[in-house]
Amino acid sequence: MSTPAQTTPNSQPAPAPASLRGAKDLVRIEGVHKYFGEHHVLRGIDMTVKQGEVSVLIGPSGSGKSTLLRCVNHLETISAGRIWVNDELIGYRERAGKLHELHVKEIAAQRRNIGMVFQRFNLFGHKTALENIIEAPIQVKGQDKATAKKRALELLDRVGLSERANHYPAQLSGGQQQRVAIARALAMDPELMLFDEPTSALDPELVGDVLNVMKDLAKSGMTMVVVTHEIGFAREVGDTLTFMDGGVVVESGNPRDVIANPQHERTRSFLSKVL
Amino acid sequence: MTARQAETAEATKSGAPELIKAVPVRHPGRWVAAAIILILAALAVQSLATNPRFGWGTVAAYILDVNIVRGVGWTLLLTVLSMLIAIILAIVLAFMRQSDNPILRWSSWFWVWFFRGTPVYTQLIFWGLVTVLYPTISLGIPFGPALATYILSDPTKGFIPAILGLGLNESAYLAEIFRAGLKSVDKGQVEAAEALGMRGTKIMWRIVLPQAMRVIVPPTGNETIGMLKTTSLVLAVPFTLDLTFVSNALANRTYQPIPLLIVAAAWYLLVTSILMVGQHYIEKYYGKGVDNLVPAAVNPAAAKAAAAGGTGAGSDLGTGTTIPGGPTAAGPTIEESGR
Repeated sequence: MSTPAQTTPNSQPAPAPASLRGAKDLVRIEGVHKYFGEHHVLRGIDMTVKQGEVSVLIGPSGSGKSTLLRCVNHLETISAGRIWVNDELIGYRERAGKLHELHVKEIAAQRRNIGMVFQRFNLFGHKTALENIIEAPIQVKGQDKATAKKRALELLDRVGLSERANHYPAQLSGGQQQRVAIARALAMDPELMLFDEPTSALDPELVGDVLNVMKDLAKSGMTMVVVTHEIGFAREVGDTLTFMDGGVVVESGNPRDVIANPQHERTRSFLSKVL
Repeated sequence: MTARQAETAEATKSGAPELIKAVPVRHPGRWVAAAIILILAALAVQSLATNPRFGWGTVAAYILDVNIVRGVGWTLLLTVLSMLIAIILAIVLAFMRQSDNPILRWSSWFWVWFFRGTPVYTQLIFWGLVTVLYPTISLGIPFGPALATYILSDPTKGFIPAILGLGLNESAYLAEIFRAGLKSVDKGQVEAAEALGMRGTKIMWRIVLPQAMRVIVPPTGNETIGMLKTTSLVLAVPFTLDLTFVSNALANRTYQPIPLLIVAAAWYLLVTSILMVGQHYIEKYYGKGVDNLVPAAVNPAAAKAAAAGGTGAGSDLGTGTTIPGGPTAAGPTIEESGR
């Protein structure tokens, strides 16, 4: 343990890594609870993600990490608490101390700035890789087709799939599909990228390509929240590592410290299983 | 080790395996079945050709009769227009059924319950009688003056009640087909579109419906062919220009029902066959990305390497990704995608 502050127990927000000190908070999560019926999935989460930070969430399945991620772009509604992205309250408007639900249109507008990558890729099956990427820029942002195509080809090049532009998702391997999915999210020029177990559905030999694309993205300064089981990725790329279990943040801090020197028994036993 | 074995071993070592040349299993049952079917078919053909009561001369005389051909035209028009009404209504009903608005959901449910729950023949009689309830239809301002008026009670206007009756009845069945189609599309597709900032209607039209069409088209083709024949019930309205009514009328006039039944059946079969061809192309269009994978351009160097017996591993197009498929990877590689 290097400094005591780095492994503050329980749901205290993790201190910012040195390189990000002074950067503004892009995501602020305060006192978030989530119930699925009787099931209390998130039990009071506090967390911040600074601009440019790569924040990695780990934890056993059912710990609520994916649910938390889906709350950030309002794919799930939260039961209590507040989430802000870029100082904008997600999903609601607060007026005179009262919360009003946002209109679908406004929620859609908030989501434009938040890219999301899913465990099962969710590429549009009836569209080629290129068509998948240009769909939202044209339909949502109103870009013209030529501009959108040019940008899509640049993005495909960036994820190493230029020659696969005209392939349908069914013609691509899992790793290729996931890289197209990343390019599709980037085409909207989001300021935040959410990754929901992006490599969990992949054959082991295909994981590396996806992680490399994510590493490049992190290097380019993208703010990322990554739910993953790839401890190696967390150690190498992550600025913060947050371990969740049973709907609470058990511990959070510099990934290298948390992995090398976990402060909690639950963290220790989880890491011993995945490492 | 015999010389032969040594030779084989040698061949194996040099890379070319000895291919299996096994004696195939015999299927005597197939020959027996073929013989029986052929005999039955020959008997049927002989009977058709030699029994004068089939009246082939009459069939030939009436197959291109003006009234018959017009009847085919009306039958086609009834089919196309009532299916058009049914498809439009079915899309609306299926969307309503998925709506967050409970009033829309229940209305859609009620519509399907009502129109599926009563016989089409009864509905057609009812639509014919609507002309008694409402002799005219007027388009105008509610409670105000009429802008256009259509006289329904005119006996030659049985056409409108006929397509309404057929179309509304069919819409209930198609609504269920469309609902099943929409449900067949993975929820992740909607989530991905939502995460990109797309909204309800656009997601439905651009993402969900095109993929649902793959499931929707085959049963809808089935329904269209069914509709072609259901149009023979329009005499209930009454509408008396369709193929069945006209051929029956001619049969009654000439006292030759069998040849005219053959004439009608031949026309129905011809139209059905044409519709099936159309369905094939529609299915092909909506199968894109799943059943219909257009052969994409393959990097020639990689294809050559694969054809030369590359094991697949490391023979990818320089993206660093390994793609299974190996020696047969002349076309685009397809991998389990979980979808």
